[in-house]
Amino acid sequence: MRWRVLTLLVSLAVGAAGQELERSPFHGDETSIGVGKASFRLRCSACHGIHAEGGKGPPLNRGEFAAGNRDVDIYRVIARGVPGTEMPAYGTRNTEENIWRIVAFLRTFEAVGDERVDGNAERGEAIFWGTGGCGGCHKVGRRGASYGPDLTRIGRSRSVQHLREALLDPGKDLPAGYFVVKVVTRDGRTVSGIGSGIDDFSAQLRDASGRLHSFLREDVESIEREFTSLMPSYGESLSDQQQRDLLVYMQALRGEESR
Amino acid sequence: MNRPVWLACILLACAAAALGQVDSEALANSQQDDESWLMYGRNYSAWRYSPLDQIDTGNVGQIAPAWIFQTAESGKFQTTPLVRDGVMYVTGPSNHAWALDLKTGRELWHYSEPVPDDLTLCCGKPNRGFAILGNLLFKVNMQATLVALDATTGDVVWEVESADYRKGYSNTVAPLVVNGMVVVGIAGAEFGTRDFIDAYDAETGERRWRFWTVPGPGEPGNETWGGDSWKRGGASTWITGSYDPELNLIYWGTGNPGPDLDGAPRPGDNLYSDSMLALDADTGELRWHFQFTPHDVHDWDSVADPVLIDVEIDGQPRKALVHANRNGHFYALDRTSGEYLFARAYTEVNWADGMTSAGRPILIPGREPTDEGTLTCPGMGGGHNWHATSYSPQTGLYYFNSGDGCQIYHGATQDFVEGEFYLGSAMENVTGEPREGSILAVDPGTGDRRWRFPLVSPPTSGMLSTGGGLLFAGTLEGYFVALDAADGRLLWRLQTGGPVRAPAITYRFEGRQYVATAAGSAIIAFALPR
Repeated sequence: MRWRVLTLLVSLAVGAAGQELERSPFHGDETSIGVGKASFRLRCSACHGIHAEGGKGPPLNRGEFAAGNRDVDIYRVIARGVPGTEMPAYGTRNTEENIWRIVAFLRTFEAVGDERVDGNAERGEAIFWGTGGCGGCHKVGRRGASYGPDLTRIGRSRSVQHLREALLDPGKDLPAGYFVVKVVTRDGRTVSGIGSGIDDFSAQLRDASGRLHSFLREDVESIEREFTSLMPSYGESLSDQQQRDLLVYMQALRGEESR
Repeated sequence: MNRPVWLACILLACAAAALGQVDSEALANSQQDDESWLMYGRNYSAWRYSPLDQIDTGNVGQIAPAWIFQTAESGKFQTTPLVRDGVMYVTGPSNHAWALDLKTGRELWHYSEPVPDDLTLCCGKPNRGFAILGNLLFKVNMQATLVALDATTGDVVWEVESADYRKGYSNTVAPLVVNGMVVVGIAGAEFGTRDFIDAYDAETGERRWRFWTVPGPGEPGNETWGGDSWKRGGASTWITGSYDPELNLIYWGTGNPGPDLDGAPRPGDNLYSDSMLALDADTGELRWHFQFTPHDVHDWDSVADPVLIDVEIDGQPRKALVHANRNGHFYALDRTSGEYLFARAYTEVNWADGMTSAGRPILIPGREPTDEGTLTCPGMGGGHNWHATSYSPQTGLYYFNSGDGCQIYHGATQDFVEGEFYLGSAMENVTGEPREGSILAVDPGTGDRRWRFPLVSPPTSGMLSTGGGLLFAGTLEGYFVALDAADGRLLWRLQTGGPVRAPAITYRFEGRQYVATAAGSAIIAFALPR
């Protein structure tokens, strides 16, 4: 019956906005933590990893959170989402109690601090727009191209581990909606690019110049979808120090350049 | 009875007949009624086959929308519309429903009921359709209630609560009318509910019987649950069953045991989860059961259509029940006794190496969920999940869809909290391996695959087969298609602009055959040009 008492406390203390409490009423309660873990795995693990180790979303198992380390800060992010990122608001899909249980689960991880990268953001920026050629495919704010994902806020939504992985092995964990479409036409030409859409009867893609191509399957030899990346690996072309500089620059991309 | 009263009764009876009110005889003969669609599966055997043949393999390329009804509501439209006497009755997500004029698609009435803010759900707010008897329409609402509506006005005639939604119960199923009763299932297994099948008096809403799909203490089958785990055993019943009037048996499939992916708290086979049940229609008593996946730890609900066909199997004529299960196997059972006849894998399966002679899966060790994750095929959604299937007596083939691919299953121990998710962990997709799908045509007497139509995404729509030699289906990307039912060739397609998540229906109105389906949040009726 313990959870009933806790639920009552939440109901009394939280109110409609769920913002009155500073700390999860389920903090340290093993049963609630187990439920929070189950809810986390159902709702959050696709982006934050099955063990909260991070993925497309930042790691949540390091005891530190980008939006603040108080329980209420974590609650607010889950309930309201993070505008401008892929993090949606779960306040309408979860009860307040359940969000507090997820918070209680996330607070079971001991603070280990985020990984510090020894690099220089200014040098990284120069690499991004210069020798690295990143701006030829990616946008930051209004600068750059739209062939690859927009990186304006990438520092807010990706862990440094995930950014490093994307730099060295770009095809390992593709961003949602990014896949390669390869079309072989009846006259033997191959057209490939980033897929805008694919279904059982057609495919749309943009080539490296940004030009749109649309094909019906019945008009071509073959249409294939490949879950690979057109981005090259920078493991060889950039030195270790250049990679670190680039990572530090990307960590600093938090949306301010979008003006 | 004096003459005026007698005359009034005759006139009322004539008026009722003229209005096309649906009685039990009409339901029993629904397969012969080309101008109506009177129940979820079209007939009690759940065939979803219409002999209408005005639209056929030669002219289907000419069909076009006759009308489109935009509901202006969001959510998953999974409804099977009903049609009778010039009106289409459609349910939508979030407790909405409409009556539409068959001639124009114009709205005649709109019913809605708010969904409680504190209702917790696993899988959205869909609804799969009405049932009908007399001038009453029956539908479930998300908060586990059953309502009867006046078909003429949409007004509520009676409403009953099947279960307390605050405990995790909800409802999405299309009811089935049998012998003057409205039979419904329930959902909630993801929240550790104990589930059931109910029958209610169609006139009054009074409950006539309930069959608990997880037996209580002292009942046969309770010994298949360790300790008091039966209290949270799940076994939901969220897809409509079928009915054999001759045997007076209702067939209904059940869902996963709870918690979904952690078998440790519930040692044993966990009856009657993941089972096919045969219930006496008058009393709800269990006549036989067959469990497809004993002690399931992969969330392989067995709620998909139980389709009743008479077919030759191994040289013997059989009254069969065929069923495409989420665990990756197509099954044939003897519907008089529940005897296992055969099972055949129809998609990639890596957890079982065939079946025993009694139909029990021969398990391959090491496929259970673990904290680190176990790759198992099929994935959580199946295989064939729930989408409506079709049997064509014209081709002799059974049509269903399949999700193809594997998933990584993670398990973890979790304490039960009433009204909260009770899953025992979750699944994740395999990186770089998108889940795809198929539309399959299978010989129901052998399980042999006759053809496959590949899909780039997991399937979303149900099936409709017709006397015109056609199979209608839809896709997640919004295509509504007509295939040659004999060989799976694509004959026609239309991009509807929204995911097709529903099965199509067909009917004749004023001499024209129509094919109608939900697509996106619209209802579209197709016909040949005048």
